[in-house]
Amino acid sequence: MQSSPNMLTKFESKSSRAKGIAFHPKRPWILVSLHSSTIQLWDYRMGTLIDRFEEHDGPVRGVDFHPTQPLFVSGGDDYKIKVWNYQTRRCLFTLNGHLDYVRTVFFHPELPWILSASDDQTIRIWNWQNRSLICPHLGYLRPAKEALRPTSISFEDQMARANPNQADMFGNTDAIVKFVLEGHDRGVNWVSFHPELPLIVSAGDDRLIKLWRMSDTKAWEVDTCRGHFQNASACLFHPHQDLILSVGEDKTIRVWDLNKRTSVQSFKRDLDRFWVIAAHPEMNLFAAGHDTGVMVFKLERERPASAIHQNQLFYITKEKHVKSYDFVKNEESQSLLSLRKLGSPWVPPRTLSYNPAERAILVTSPADSGTYELIHLPRDATGAVEPTDVKRGQATSAVFVARNRFAVFNPASQQVDIKDLSNSTTKTIKPPAGTTDIYFGGAGCLLFITPTTVVLFDIQQKKQLAEVTVSGVKYVAWSNDGLYCALLSKHNVTIVTKTLEQVSTLHETIRIKSATWDDAGVLIYSTLNHVKYSLLNGDNGIIRTLDQTVYLIDPTEYRFKLALVKRNYDEMLQIIKTSSLVGQSIISYLQKKGYPEIALQFVQDPQTRFDLALECGNLDVAIEMAKELDRPNFWTRLGAEALAHGNHQTVEMAYQKQRNFDKLSFLYLSTGDQDKLSRMAKIASHRGDFTSRFQNAVYRGDIEDRIEMFKEVDLYPLAYLTAKSHGLTEEAESILEAVGLTEDQITLPSLEQPLKVAHPIVPTFKAAWPVKAAGHSSFEKALLGEVGAVDEEAAADGFDFEDDEQETTLAKETLDDDEEDASGWDMGDDVNVEEDVDFVNVESTEAGAGSSEADLWARNSPLAADHVAAGSFDTAMQLLNRQVGAVHFAPLKPRFLEVFKASKTYLPATVGLPPLVNYVRRTTEETDSRKLLPIIPRDLETVATVDLQEGYTAMRSNKLEDGVRIFKGILHTLLVNTVSSEAEVAQAQKIIATAREYILAMTIELERRTLPTEGQDNLKRSLELSAYFTIPKLEVAHRQLALMAAMKLAFANKNYNSALGFASRMLANGGSAKLLEQAKKIKAQCERNPSDAIDIDFDQFAEFDICAASHTPIFSGSPFVTDPFTGAKYHPQYKGSVDRIAEVTEIGAPASGLRLFVPGQF
Amino acid sequence: MDPFSAEGELLNIHTAFHSGQYQSVLDFETAALSPENQLPARVLKLRAQIALGQTSEVLAAVSSEEDTPDLAAVKALAQLVAGDADAAEQLAQDLAENYPENSSVQFLAGTVLQAQGRSEEALALLGKHQGSLEAVALIVQIHLQQNRTDLALKEVQAAKRWAQDSLLVNIAESWVGLRVGGEKYQSAFYVYEELASAPSTSAPLSIVGQAVAELHLGRLPEAEAALSAALEKYPEDSELIANSIVLNVLAGKPSADLESKLQQVQPSHALLADIQEKSDFFDTAAAKYAPKVSS
Repeated sequence: MQSSPNMLTKFESKSSRAKGIAFHPKRPWILVSLHSSTIQLWDYRMGTLIDRFEEHDGPVRGVDFHPTQPLFVSGGDDYKIKVWNYQTRRCLFTLNGHLDYVRTVFFHPELPWILSASDDQTIRIWNWQNRSLICPHLGYLRPAKEALRPTSISFEDQMARANPNQADMFGNTDAIVKFVLEGHDRGVNWVSFHPELPLIVSAGDDRLIKLWRMSDTKAWEVDTCRGHFQNASACLFHPHQDLILSVGEDKTIRVWDLNKRTSVQSFKRDLDRFWVIAAHPEMNLFAAGHDTGVMVFKLERERPASAIHQNQLFYITKEKHVKSYDFVKNEESQSLLSLRKLGSPWVPPRTLSYNPAERAILVTSPADSGTYELIHLPRDATGAVEPTDVKRGQATSAVFVARNRFAVFNPASQQVDIKDLSNSTTKTIKPPAGTTDIYFGGAGCLLFITPTTVVLFDIQQKKQLAEVTVSGVKYVAWSNDGLYCALLSKHNVTIVTKTLEQVSTLHETIRIKSATWDDAGVLIYSTLNHVKYSLLNGDNGIIRTLDQTVYLIDPTEYRFKLALVKRNYDEMLQIIKTSSLVGQSIISYLQKKGYPEIALQFVQDPQTRFDLALECGNLDVAIEMAKELDRPNFWTRLGAEALAHGNHQTVEMAYQKQRNFDKLSFLYLSTGDQDKLSRMAKIASHRGDFTSRFQNAVYRGDIEDRIEMFKEVDLYPLAYLTAKSHGLTEEAESILEAVGLTEDQITLPSLEQPLKVAHPIVPTFKAAWPVKAAGHSSFEKALLGEVGAVDEEAAADGFDFEDDEQETTLAKETLDDDEEDASGWDMGDDVNVEEDVDFVNVESTEAGAGSSEADLWARNSPLAADHVAAGSFDTAMQLLNRQVGAVHFAPLKPRFLEVFKASKTYLPATVGLPPLVNYVRRTTEETDSRKLLPIIPRDLETVATVDLQEGYTAMRSNKLEDGVRIFKGILHTLLVNTVSSEAEVAQAQKIIATAREYILAMTIELERRTLPTEGQDNLKRSLELSAYFTIPKLEVAHRQLALMAAMKLAFANKNYNSALGFASRMLANGGSAKLLEQAKKIKAQCERNPSDAIDIDFDQFAEFDICAASHTPIFSGSPFVTDPFTGAKYHPQYKGSVDRIAEVTEIGAPASGLRLFVPGQF
Repeated sequence: MDPFSAEGELLNIHTAFHSGQYQSVLDFETAALSPENQLPARVLKLRAQIALGQTSEVLAAVSSEEDTPDLAAVKALAQLVAGDADAAEQLAQDLAENYPENSSVQFLAGTVLQAQGRSEEALALLGKHQGSLEAVALIVQIHLQQNRTDLALKEVQAAKRWAQDSLLVNIAESWVGLRVGGEKYQSAFYVYEELASAPSTSAPLSIVGQAVAELHLGRLPEAEAALSAALEKYPEDSELIANSIVLNVLAGKPSADLESKLQQVQPSHALLADIQEKSDFFDTAAAKYAPKVSS
């Protein structure tokens, strides 16, 4: 038998003896009927007495709330049943009929019935709507029991269960006694049904709690719970768990295990006998009535034991499973562990402390007067596994204080033990007297909580660092950066620094439940009914009102508001996408703050959406919603708004929907839509609406129709006048004729020219007016995924080349180019060198220990870059020589040193000795010495995204010397590098080819620029070089530049044929209109005289490459040599000299091909 | 009782020394210590002075007390750090022969011998220690410098059995961890992070340790944050500069400024020496190659 010292009492009232209790199903209210004839209505959350009802005479024993109506019923020793309305605060009516004390009264959950049980040995069923007695004498016969106090939560249930085929028996027949349960030796005080199972529990003066089971045919006693040592007054089943609760005159509340019928817990009160117990229908709440009032209590804590580490929340579920939740991914893990065996079965764990270094948790449980367990979490969540290696001990609090230490606190011995991970005590600390709890206090420190103070204690130095006087601290919440700490007591939040200097304090009248810190250093805390925030200076406010108590874990909504204030749209977007932010409060907040377009994103309700859409001028949404709602009011508003926007199509639709013909006609008039106007006229005549027809006729200037209409309504004078004034004499005469008059008989006023309706000059109806800017905020764009695109454009604009259109075609062209490159680049395959040859033997006496990691690297890898990192430059050179015929290493020196420099870190150790050298690996997860490999700075990605772009920029901005240097740097970086896949090898080769082409092009142009301007030969060479400049495979935009330069030079020197060729190529390439314009002009001019003044060695129709050394053409079919690394082509006479592109390798040298990747190595 | 143990009076000064808080060691109030702890405390203070580069003050302070082997050993270390390596080596050798049981001598003379490349003698001397964690740490470091990670690991694990709680053992374990790699990088990181985050133990030493561990874990932005913050505080710390150079190179950033700064602060630093050596090596190695045809 365990007894829990502190019961979780939520509320206590002081009054006379409480005999009846009822929870309100939704509100935090409890009805208490007293022995003194009063009925009290309490708000147990706020602890306030809402109302008192005093009309009964004598004790009131039974009360019940109606499940939905604002009603309750009471029954008392005055034989009366009263039905009350708690809103109007008065008794509606009284049901008379019982002949003795009324013990219990209940509303039927669905039917308009009240069931009552009385000492007159009857149970009666009343219809409270027509206030009649349905079942006048349902005799309830219990022989041989002197105290008869039968009751049940749902009497009708019993009946239904007992007589499944006689559901309609009430009204005609008396109910039938189905079973008589015999077993109690003395009077039975209370019986109760199980909410789902065919079970009954009863409490009697024989001090026993009995459990009964029933079937269709019989009922029998299952077991007895023994423990009360005085009369047991009441009992019930736990609504959600397999527990029985009972109270008795022995001043105890007892909790029993339904399955084992053993006592789980018991709570003792000093003086007061218990008389009644009730359970909240939904929440984990109970109420017990005793001699001096009522207490509302919980059986178990609902605050989940949890801990946050970075983006992960670790917590223990009600099933005692440890789970984690990733805030970033917004997903819950599978169960990591099952803690079923922790503590006792009905006691949930209290706290959880997480240690990321060891991936271990410390869990405390209040069972057995405080236990803790140290458990290592499994690496992957695989389901509820029982932990295997568990360390445990006695303590009420346990927290990690360091990577390999935790502190446990034992209040009985007033001692804090610092333990290592094997659970052995390494240190013992005597906390200040009266310490009630301990918390983490920052690295290596603890916070001791005493009833009046909080003490910061350094564990290493074993000394008190600071103390602050705050009374009754219950929880501690550290800010994410560890600089501030919030101390929570029942009604106060005190914010202190990490050295316990008080920053601010605030007071709440309602109980404070929990707190957490925002990244921005704002404290968010929850009370019983609000989520609030507090800034460091103590300014606070409400974020949200709550229906149920919330324990704070993540401050999403607040973050959202903060993001809004900072206009951090990305974050808001993130929040909207990942969280379910809803509720009127945020909408009105947004509306109030002037962000209706953002509020629009949250709302589903069409009407609100419509309002918001109008407010932010988002007509599309408004139309959509108006269609959905389809009510005149909304169309009117939509029409008005659309008119303001000049969006006449929408206006038209709105008018049509409202059948507002006048306005429609006028709209068509003003937009000049004659077709529709005549259609309106037809509609008008169809409707027989002459006014409308007249109006339309006026609008259309249709005189005949007007006259016709006047005639139809017998308004001949008007018809005549109209005809006359518009000069329709025949018509006028025919009218006269029809009415039998002659012109003489009529006197007409003198006429002026008739007024005509003005017609719009612009046919507006064909298209909307320039519409008021649609309310697309950047935020909405982000939602629509447009922001990314915008950013890219901005990025593209950053390159200072003049035209934007070309950028867009660029991507396509690159693809084309890539294909070309790939086909043209099967370099090195013809030379087959054995794999093994690549492994250069590194001299070393023995393997393993004794040689440095650098040596291992060289041994583990056939890649030159790894040898460079290892400092083994000579073997690296050997490798490069074999792979790509490298002979001239000087240009590679900076790269070699760069790679080498990044290979080691320096860790200071003993004073007087050099620092410990450690080797930086790219295989960070690896510990097998045969697989260790160095990190190589400037990986392929950096080259592709940074260096290559720099090179392009140099090209665009015409800084060719820089460009050559940059592209050479790229070649050198790639030559001494590693990649992680075959795909990357291909990418690297592509970049090498690109760099080669640019270097070639740039050097050609640079040579041209150094030529002296005089002399025919120089001019010829200059023209040739400018032509060759157009040959290398540059990006299209860049090739256009080359072509432009060549075209202009050729044109200026009257080489019209060449210029024509360049111009045609430019036009074929497409792109910037400005460039093309020039090309077109020149082309047109050249076509008149397509001949060259100076004969140059350039045939625009022939296939040829440019020799990288001589910058002369190598026509296809002529012999050439290539460079093994860059693939540049040369005339045969350059074989054996150093490549002009990268300046490292020997032209035409035998080579096995550059290796950047070894499968399975990275 | 071991004065450095959790219950001992010297715990705090010891912790301060090994977490690199040399100024706090000097500021430590020693008057109240029990007589038998006075000397060890003084040795620690002198060593802190050496660590701060005040070798001449140390030499002056111990000049009259060379009869005390502890102080003589301090002198040897001071000489070594001051650059008088030969004298230091001679003195260390004498001390090692005459007072091999003195723990200060073991450690300090061992340091000097190791610095002079006499690792075997240093190990032999240190092997005589009786429960001195400093000796253990030095043994670990010597093994690591000899690239015998296996022996270093063994030494640490042995020490952990009797002194798991010791800061020094934790640090030595991190040294080994940074060699072993894999998951041990993370453990080492936690040790240094813990030191660096606690105000009482935060110092360039611990920040460098933290940043180095981050570097090895491949977390460059974090390493950069730690190093650049520390460099602002301690712009002259050579290890901070050296590791920042490594970081910048890894991150593809220029490092020339830092290199010249290091040249200025500590021209003898291993990084600079290595680069110089490799630069020469490169030239020699590259000279072996030449194109068939010179252009």
